[in-house]
Amino acid sequence: MMSGVMTVADIAQPRREPGDRSHLGRAAIVLLAVLLLLAMTLSMTTGASGASAWSILKGWLGMAPASELDTLRDHAVIINIRLPRMILGVLIGAALAVSGLLMQGLFRNPLADPGLVGVSAGAGLGAVGVIVLGTTALAPLTAFLGIYSLQLASFFGGLATTFILYRVATRSGQTAIATMLLAGIALGALAGAVTGVLVYVATDAQLRDLTFWGLGSLAGANWMKVLASGPIIIAALGVSTLLAKGLNAMTLGEATAAHLGISVQRFKLVTIVTVAAATGASVAVSGGIGFVGIVVPHLLRMVIGPNHRYLLPATALLGASFLLFADAVSRLVVAPAEMPIGIITAALGGPFFLWILLRRRSAFAW
Amino acid sequence: MIEVHDLSVSVGGRAILHKVELSAPAGQLTAVIGPNGSGKSTLLKALCKDYRYDGHVRINGRDLAELSLTEAAAQRAVLPQSSTLPFPFTVREVVAIGITAGRAGPSGDALRRLPEQALAAVDLHGFGGRFYGELSGGEQQRVQLARVLCQVWMPVLEGVPRYLLLDEPVSSLDIRHQLMIMDVARRFADNGGGVIAVLHDLNLAAMYGDQVLALRDGEVVAAGRPDSVLSDAVIEHVFDCPLRVGVAPSTGAPFVLPQSIRRTAPVHTRVA
Repeated sequence: MMSGVMTVADIAQPRREPGDRSHLGRAAIVLLAVLLLLAMTLSMTTGASGASAWSILKGWLGMAPASELDTLRDHAVIINIRLPRMILGVLIGAALAVSGLLMQGLFRNPLADPGLVGVSAGAGLGAVGVIVLGTTALAPLTAFLGIYSLQLASFFGGLATTFILYRVATRSGQTAIATMLLAGIALGALAGAVTGVLVYVATDAQLRDLTFWGLGSLAGANWMKVLASGPIIIAALGVSTLLAKGLNAMTLGEATAAHLGISVQRFKLVTIVTVAAATGASVAVSGGIGFVGIVVPHLLRMVIGPNHRYLLPATALLGASFLLFADAVSRLVVAPAEMPIGIITAALGGPFFLWILLRRRSAFAW
Repeated sequence: MIEVHDLSVSVGGRAILHKVELSAPAGQLTAVIGPNGSGKSTLLKALCKDYRYDGHVRINGRDLAELSLTEAAAQRAVLPQSSTLPFPFTVREVVAIGITAGRAGPSGDALRRLPEQALAAVDLHGFGGRFYGELSGGEQQRVQLARVLCQVWMPVLEGVPRYLLLDEPVSSLDIRHQLMIMDVARRFADNGGGVIAVLHDLNLAAMYGDQVLALRDGEVVAAGRPDSVLSDAVIEHVFDCPLRVGVAPSTGAPFVLPQSIRRTAPVHTRVA
């Protein structure tokens, strides 16, 4: 290149410095974007009704041979059930995966995850509170907040849990992993106990709502939920893209991050609020869906490395695809019934988590 | 120039530094010496804005308190005592964090090659593709130095001198690499930048320092050229143990020879 003669090899394969994995990061983002398109297509064409997104498309293009009635029914299924479900799957999958990644960066530990350390439980408590008390004690509040009350209650539940967790587990910038996990268990149990009390006093109709909500499922997806949670999740994901540089610097420790020009206190505050918003808005719609936040970032870190500039977008993309695939499986295995999606992510994520523990025991001390 | 005037620092209600005066000009290497707990690291941390302090710290004439973190990151880089990473970064990725944080100076292709160049400067040529977590402690310390160098690669950028603040930069290195790293710091100063290094090895301080600042119990005991600070009386007082200063025949620089405490200690403290 320096000699002025550019060969084909130079263009096809620019010289890379050893240890530079940015090309892997870029390639992963492109591939994962394609994967997400496939997952979205799969999601739109999978379901109990047998309605085909293709027939709708054909209808719109004026080449529909199907009967008028079929088309109308399919249209309703696709537009009012599958499309919002697909959108929520994308948003919630990305939100859960990115929340995990942010918490791992904040706590400087690859095992942090909103589901594992009680943040989801705290968000869940907020949601259950609104479902059970929304018509009585909290009625003025829910009337005021309208469709956003569930989301905001989850948000504040998750926010409170994350703050408490951080205060308990972190001393002068150092997080003790054992303290963090144990504090998470305590907070999760506490949130669970209060949730239990609320369930105990709930009416029959509320119990029905709670059961549907708590299974961890995208089954109840509709446009109202997209409208309520979508903007919050999109905002959280948008903010997270600004955190990449800070996350990289934070891996060197808080003091060094400050020397590298990061305002550490502000970074931590923004990260905690973002995690709470993303987790809260997800939990409000789908209940507890575990392990996405731990499996997805970990898998990607092994392939493209921990540079958050690439890891963040890749995590959002893979998280979205992962949840759409899990959702498609949940609709297929016991069709025409549905299996809660939380069961599927847990069945995949549980063994994966154990595998990480076994692997890390030898590789790194934490 | 880094100017420190009337600097006092208390941590947790305990006074660590008391009315410290220091001026570390660009183009010079300032060695900070003193026993454990004398406040050396605290002084460096105050200069990094890690601690609240009373008094004045000025970098290139500007008050440190008024510098934003980003501005500070472009003017001085800080080498911590040790760093472990929670995630599997390659050596190159660690070094590159220094580039994105500070203002290295070079651009384009030169910037892309900078991590490898910085690694070569700390004798880690070809280590870019290795995983940081798999290196030895001394190698990790040199990777961190390469990262710090990348943050302020050009000692003078746009006419403004920049500074390296090094906390025990050679503490876990073998003798060859101690000299090599001190040479890197020396070159940075010779090219117009400023270096403040906390050193335990008095001979390195004597060999490489343009000036030496001796601290004891948070106060400056002596400051000045190495041959003026490193005298029998001063350093015996600073370190509270018998030391003898000689003059190296080849360079004329002072060198410090420890005397055994046991041989000179009173009889009753000996182990029976």
